[in-house]
Parts: sequence; C-alpha cells; structure tokens
Amino acid sequence: MTAAQSGAPAFADLYNELFKSYERGRTFKQIVTTNARIAQTPKTLVWALNKAKLYRYVPVVPEEQRHRIPLLMVFAIMNRPHVLDLRPGHSFVEYMLQHGYDLYLLDWGAPGPEDRDMKFDDYALEYLPRVIRKVKSLSGASEFSMLGWCLGALISTLYAALRPSDGLKNLVLLTAPLDFTDKSAGGFIRWTSIQQFSADGLVDALGNIPGEMIDYGAKALKPAENFIGSYLDLWDNIDNPKVLAAWHSMNTWVRDIIPMAGGAYRQLINEFYKENRLVQGKLVMRGERVDLAHLTANVLNVIAEGDHITPPCQSEGIMARIGSQDKEVFRVRGGHIGIMAGSGAERNTWPHIEAWLAARS
Amino acid sequence: MSQNDDPVNPFDPLGLMKGMRDAGMDAWSKSMIQLVNSDAYAQASAVMLNTWLAHLAPLHKAMATAITQALTSVNMPTREDVTSLANRLTNIEMRLDDMEALLEEIRSSPRKASAHKSRASNGGTSQ
Repeated sequence: MTAAQSGAPAFADLYNELFKSYERGRTFKQIVTTNARIAQTPKTLVWALNKAKLYRYVPVVPEEQRHRIPLLMVFAIMNRPHVLDLRPGHSFVEYMLQHGYDLYLLDWGAPGPEDRDMKFDDYALEYLPRVIRKVKSLSGASEFSMLGWCLGALISTLYAALRPSDGLKNLVLLTAPLDFTDKSAGGFIRWTSIQQFSADGLVDALGNIPGEMIDYGAKALKPAENFIGSYLDLWDNIDNPKVLAAWHSMNTWVRDIIPMAGGAYRQLINEFYKENRLVQGKLVMRGERVDLAHLTANVLNVIAEGDHITPPCQSEGIMARIGSQDKEVFRVRGGHIGIMAGSGAERNTWPHIEAWLAARS
Repeated sequence: MSQNDDPVNPFDPLGLMKGMRDAGMDAWSKSMIQLVNSDAYAQASAVMLNTWLAHLAPLHKAMATAITQALTSVNMPTREDVTSLANRLTNIEMRLDDMEALLEEIRSSPRKASAHKSRASNGGTSQ
C-alpha cells in the first residue's frame, strides 16, 4: 500500500526525495574532491633524464600487423600527459594501440627549482633528440612519426625545423601555438603581449611559474564556464554514470597541475607571444636560426575551431611557411582539450589522425 | 552547458528556474568572455601583477638572503648548493645517456657488418 492509498501524507516520498538529494550531494563531493583512475594503459619506462621520462606502451597487436614507423607523442610542458590516455574505453593511446602503432609517450615531468632556467632550446635540442635516438634504437626503425600537442607541438615544430634529416617522417600538430601575428586573437595574447606585462619580473620573483597560476590563467579565459558552469553541468547530470565517469576523469587531469620552467615561460612570452620570432624567421636557438622552410616532414595540422587557448589563426598561419610537400589542415569542432578528450573525439578526431598516419606509416 | 530540448512546462517551477538559470549563465558567460578579452582587462591585470611583484620581490629577496645566511652559519647546504648539485647530476645523466647510445651503436655495428657480409656471400645485395 502506498502512502497516497493509505491516506497518509506523502512523508515517505518526501523522505525518499531528501535521501536522494543527500546521496546526490555526497556523489558530487566525491567526484569533485577525489581522483579517478586515469592513464591506465600498460606501459614501460624505457628512458629517463632529469624529470623527463619516455614510456613505451605494451602493444596489443601482433608484430606482423603493426605499422613499421613508431609514433612518439610529445605533450605540453605545463600539464601531465595523462589526457592522451584518459580512461579505459576512452583513450587515444588505447585507440592507436588497437590500430597497430608502436607507441611512445614523452612525459616532461614537473620542473624543480634547479630547472628554472630551462628553455625551449633545451627541450627541442637537448632532450628531444635523445628521446628520438632511444625511440629509433628500441623500435629498430630509422624513421618515426611525432605527435605534438599545444606547447608539445611547438617543441616538435622547432625540432622538425632544426633537425629535418633526423628521420622525422610524419608530424601531427594538435592546437599548436606558433603564429602570434594577430595580437587580438584570444585572451592569453592580449594579456601577455602588452608592454606592461613583465614575464621577466614574474620569473625573477618566482623562478618557475606555479601550476596554480597557469591553471588560473587558463580558467580565467572562460571564467563563468570554468569556475561555475562545469560544476552546474555535473550537478545536472549527477544521475548519469557515463557523464560522471567522463567528468571525474577530466577533473582528475585538470587538478593535477605542475609548474612551468621559468626560462621557458620567459621565452614563450617574450620571444613568441610578444615578438613572434618563429614566424618572422628571427628565432635563434643555440646559435641556429629556426627556419620553418626547413621543416619538410609530412604535416597534419589539427585545429580546434572553438579553441580559446590557441585560437585557430595561431596554428594555421605556419602552413604557407613550412617546406613540406604533403601537408593538411584538419579543422575540428571543439575546444583545446575537447577535440582529443571530449566525447566526440573518438568519432571525429582520432580516426582522421589514425587514417592520415596509417597511409604514411 | 548542458542543452535542454524539453519544452518549458509552466507548471514546473523547478524547470522554469533551471531555464532561467541557464539563460542567465549563458548571458553572464558571454559578457565575462568579452570582459577578459578586452584591452582594459589586460592593462588592469598587468598593473595588479606588477604591483604584487613590486611588493613581493624585495620581501622574497630579503627572505632568501636571511635563509641563506642562517643555513650557511650552521654549515647546511643552501638552495643554491642543492640546485647546482642537481644540475651537475643532470649533466652526468646526459653523459651517461650519450655513452649508452654510443655503446649500443658499437654493439650493433658488428652485427650489422656481419649481416652485410653474409648477405654478400649468399649473393644477395645490400640494398
């Protein structure tokens, strides 16, 4: 007999509703404050230098069915690379392994106070060549493909232009900040390219740039969405386990912040954002001028149409300047991270990257 | 934001409130994005940052000097000592890495040469 049939007030229903609300609140708190299990695909540490680590993923496809050319993934220097392997069932790493790639991941690690002077010169000319040497040695291949994301794409581009005969066959750039001609394209460039903004002052005072500061800067580009909207979204979908799992894993990655080496930050703001040296052909690294015309590898430039961190014009501008014969721009609907880790990535972005690489690997 | 395609039910006050909340958030979000993308915001945040740094830098310097002096007086390594040691370790790691690569190259060279020889003696080509 229900409460209504018995004529009693619907206290039971009210109690149930209150209990449900309490449970929702508990779930909300748990999702927001705990870490999900991310980056679960089995991998082996094959090389390490200072904080940088190179991992090789355990292949899931027999050797004879694998692609000949290995793929090295280079992520940004101010975030953990776990977003490439977000969660089982929704992981770019998993996807590429299933499609027969010999897959390597370079994790730059978190810089310590002793790394405050590290610059892009070090990343592109000291670390990356060693990583590539190791990849070639382990895979036995003389050629390789490289996928760079955000500042990882910038480092990959610098390397590709400076060492064109090192065996780099295919270069996939994801939301690559390279061309800073338009000083009004997006919040970051507006904030940092004005005269009053002093990257030198910041680095002199702090050494490495704290992760919290970088995280705040990224979130402040879309303050309402990032500080409130995403939590409202979570509350609205609190009974949907699929959305919860996705939100939890993404939040785990977002919360895992690391500092950025002071030298690299100073260089990024002064030489790239303010002076646009790369595109103007004035960037010199360890005495070598970086000439984009020397970049001759096949290039797939993946651009997020709704990217507020790297607006499309910052990636697209280099296509006319690079020396590659085989080059393609692939525009995807979505944001800076969403194009690779969002719910549509498996349908839109990953298959295109895989097909492009497969035809050239 | 999540999209709600359900028609608005005037007898559902919670649904109405949610609709109003979403519309408000949307408008607020757009105006905030406009604000943070303005030159005025950039100027204001740069001024705030510079003011903060102007106060922080002398404090930071004074604190670092005091700590260094205190550590030196009790024969403890300072931050400079530790960072220079870490840099030296990284340099050693780099040299080891280069040596390892060289060894691998040397080890694989005779194998490559013998493979080359055997192919040649079998009448194969080295291409």
